[in-house]
Amino acid sequence: MSLLNRNVCRALMQGSYLVHAHKGVHTTAVKADKNQSSSTEGRIKCTLIPGDGVGPELVYSVQEVFKAANIPVDFESFFFSEVNPTLSAPLEDVVNSIARNKCCIKGILATPDFSHTGELQTLNMKLRNALDLYANVVHVKSLPNVKCRHHDVDCIIIREQTEGEYSALEHESVPGVVECLKIITAAKSERIAKFAFDYAIKMGRKKVTSVHKANIMKLGDGLFLRSCEEISKLYPRLQFEKMIVDNASMQFVSNPNQFDVVVTPNLYGNIVDNLASGLVGGAGVVAGASYSAECAVFEQGARHIFSGAVGKNIANPTAMLLCSANLLAHINLHPYSKMLKNAINKVLTDGKVRTKDLGGQSTTKDFTNAVIHCLHDH
Amino acid sequence: MAARLLSRFSARPELRIVVKPELRGVVNFSAAAPATLSDFDVQHKTPVVRKQHLVPKAHYGGRHAVTMLQGGGIGPECMGYVRDIFKYIGAPIDFEIVHIDPNVDNDEDVKYAITTIKRNGVCLKGNIETKSEAAYVTSRNVALRNELDMYAYVMHCKSFPGVDTRHRDIDIHIVRQNTEGEYAMLEHESVHGVIESMKVVTASNSERVARFAFEFAKKHGRKKVTTIHKANIMKLSDGLFLETSKRIAKEYPDIEHNDMIIDNCCMQLVAKPHQFDVMLMTNLYGSIVSNLVCGLMGGAGLHSGRNYGDHYAVFEPGTRNTGTAIAGKNIANPIAMINASVDMLEHLGHHFHADLIRKSVDKTINVDKIMTPDIGGTASSTDVVKAIIDNIDLYMKNKVSFH
Repeated sequence: MSLLNRNVCRALMQGSYLVHAHKGVHTTAVKADKNQSSSTEGRIKCTLIPGDGVGPELVYSVQEVFKAANIPVDFESFFFSEVNPTLSAPLEDVVNSIARNKCCIKGILATPDFSHTGELQTLNMKLRNALDLYANVVHVKSLPNVKCRHHDVDCIIIREQTEGEYSALEHESVPGVVECLKIITAAKSERIAKFAFDYAIKMGRKKVTSVHKANIMKLGDGLFLRSCEEISKLYPRLQFEKMIVDNASMQFVSNPNQFDVVVTPNLYGNIVDNLASGLVGGAGVVAGASYSAECAVFEQGARHIFSGAVGKNIANPTAMLLCSANLLAHINLHPYSKMLKNAINKVLTDGKVRTKDLGGQSTTKDFTNAVIHCLHDH
Repeated sequence: MAARLLSRFSARPELRIVVKPELRGVVNFSAAAPATLSDFDVQHKTPVVRKQHLVPKAHYGGRHAVTMLQGGGIGPECMGYVRDIFKYIGAPIDFEIVHIDPNVDNDEDVKYAITTIKRNGVCLKGNIETKSEAAYVTSRNVALRNELDMYAYVMHCKSFPGVDTRHRDIDIHIVRQNTEGEYAMLEHESVHGVIESMKVVTASNSERVARFAFEFAKKHGRKKVTTIHKANIMKLSDGLFLETSKRIAKEYPDIEHNDMIIDNCCMQLVAKPHQFDVMLMTNLYGSIVSNLVCGLMGGAGLHSGRNYGDHYAVFEPGTRNTGTAIAGKNIANPIAMINASVDMLEHLGHHFHADLIRKSVDKTINVDKIMTPDIGGTASSTDVVKAIIDNIDLYMKNKVSFH
């Protein structure tokens, strides 16, 4: 019955979005003269979800930087949370806002470890499914002056995030036996493979690696692998290779430089994302994004709420600031995006201001101020 | 939860009326799908003939990937102008630039270009040079069209009031069969000194292009379709084309249909061009007529052409001239390529950006009269592009919001 309810609910919600879904436009005058009154300039609206844990602190840092740089973006903020459902904005409002604005910047949403209510889908998954945010992109790149075991890591991990193990189809067939359905479809596998190859072309990359476990899950992961192979034929100038997920994990920690673009189904992508993020400095420095055909949601690459640091002003805002720089590039504000990225790089290269995770003693606020300071240098 | 949504839904009864039943399945696909589908979406969702395995669309986060073939002659410089303008207005397009070396005899680059169009679905192209005269090397432009099965070519010939020409206010759509007829490339020497060239007309392709022309006329609110042929001489081949278009015309009673012989048509075009509305013709006649009409209204540098297949669309300057003689002299007219890029934006559903560029181009030529020498001006190519960008600026400043 609850399943039925959920499906009816979903169908109705999708119907109701139609009214709000229309073509948005990303426009701006590139040579925007900052002295002109902003009312005549095209300002871009962007949905903002602060999230849980240290999310609000990091988002505040982004807003501070945007204000200081005079970036023509207006935020439409929503309190959206699963741990505090009474205060949370309704899902449909948030979805409508993102569908309208076409872009969103999002902190991390905390999810309870197990279900109290029988609801199997988390809020994150509901948001993804409602907007069809099928592709998650995490750009794992070594940053200057961030001390790690590996140097010059530069790979892009692309993950399907609307099916696979995250189908939220679990049931207890007899007491003590729980079945979880992993769904792989040809349509979605082809779609993510195409996305990965197109992304590789766009970023000027050379190689795409498909990570799978088709030696055990011969049908499910086999379908994913076959779809990747099929799509790879359309890209004769990109190298395509396959790697089993256990081997891929080993290769990642021993020789991460061999990877260029990696495409994976849902759960493996989640694990590989976090593993690779760990290689270059942790959750605080890796930016990611989720894409649907129409919208883009920018969020941290490794999703940790870091609840131990809430209110202590010690979280590293680098990842969130990089996300916002990527957002600016996506909405055609390239000069601002470059300015912000240069500023972040400069602060990291100088190495005077470091947050605790990078071995320093500076606060979130210090780091933000240092970035703002460097903005004005340019 | 469900109850609240239910009430939301029933509070908006117009929903069920707005969504056309045939589109409902498509639109319901996700919340992010636009309420109105762009031509690109429609084309992608409704393959009619020649079932091909559809690859997913290259459309991510609101941005489209598009193949750019710069071509030879003035192609690269014109593409540069288009990219400047797109960058300036922030058009959500990511170009994938493919270089084709005109001096190489093998077809590897062309094959790769075709592959990129297959996966992106849309291409903006200049005219590709085929340097080799060898019989076994086919024209690369023809190869591209045939391989992608782009059976229909459309050129919209509309006078620019600012360009001084003999005829004013011409507004003709030329629809041309693009893949067969005289361009079948089947020629042989049967006995020494006798060469036969085959002209191939098929019922299926004639029907496709005729239907395309009438659908096009219907969609754009046109009144008349004229089929151009030479069925008095080529009674079977052109006869088939004519018969097919007459048969299809019966399905569109609202649109007037007549036919005209190609030689008469050329005379009528230069004497009384206003009698034409939508013109439908086979391949070679289309090539001649489109160049003729372009000549009537200012030459090769103004109008853009569109090639449509069931799955792909390629946009290019209308008359398919390379312009090698004027390359690099900063006098090439950039308008044709810019118009092609506007067509492309419209096809992809980015109407705001398309309108912005189109209005600015119109103002630059018709009001400011900043034109290159080929249409009677004195400005250089870069001057024209700069004027267009200034006009874009003007339109953007006057608008508070772009939504």
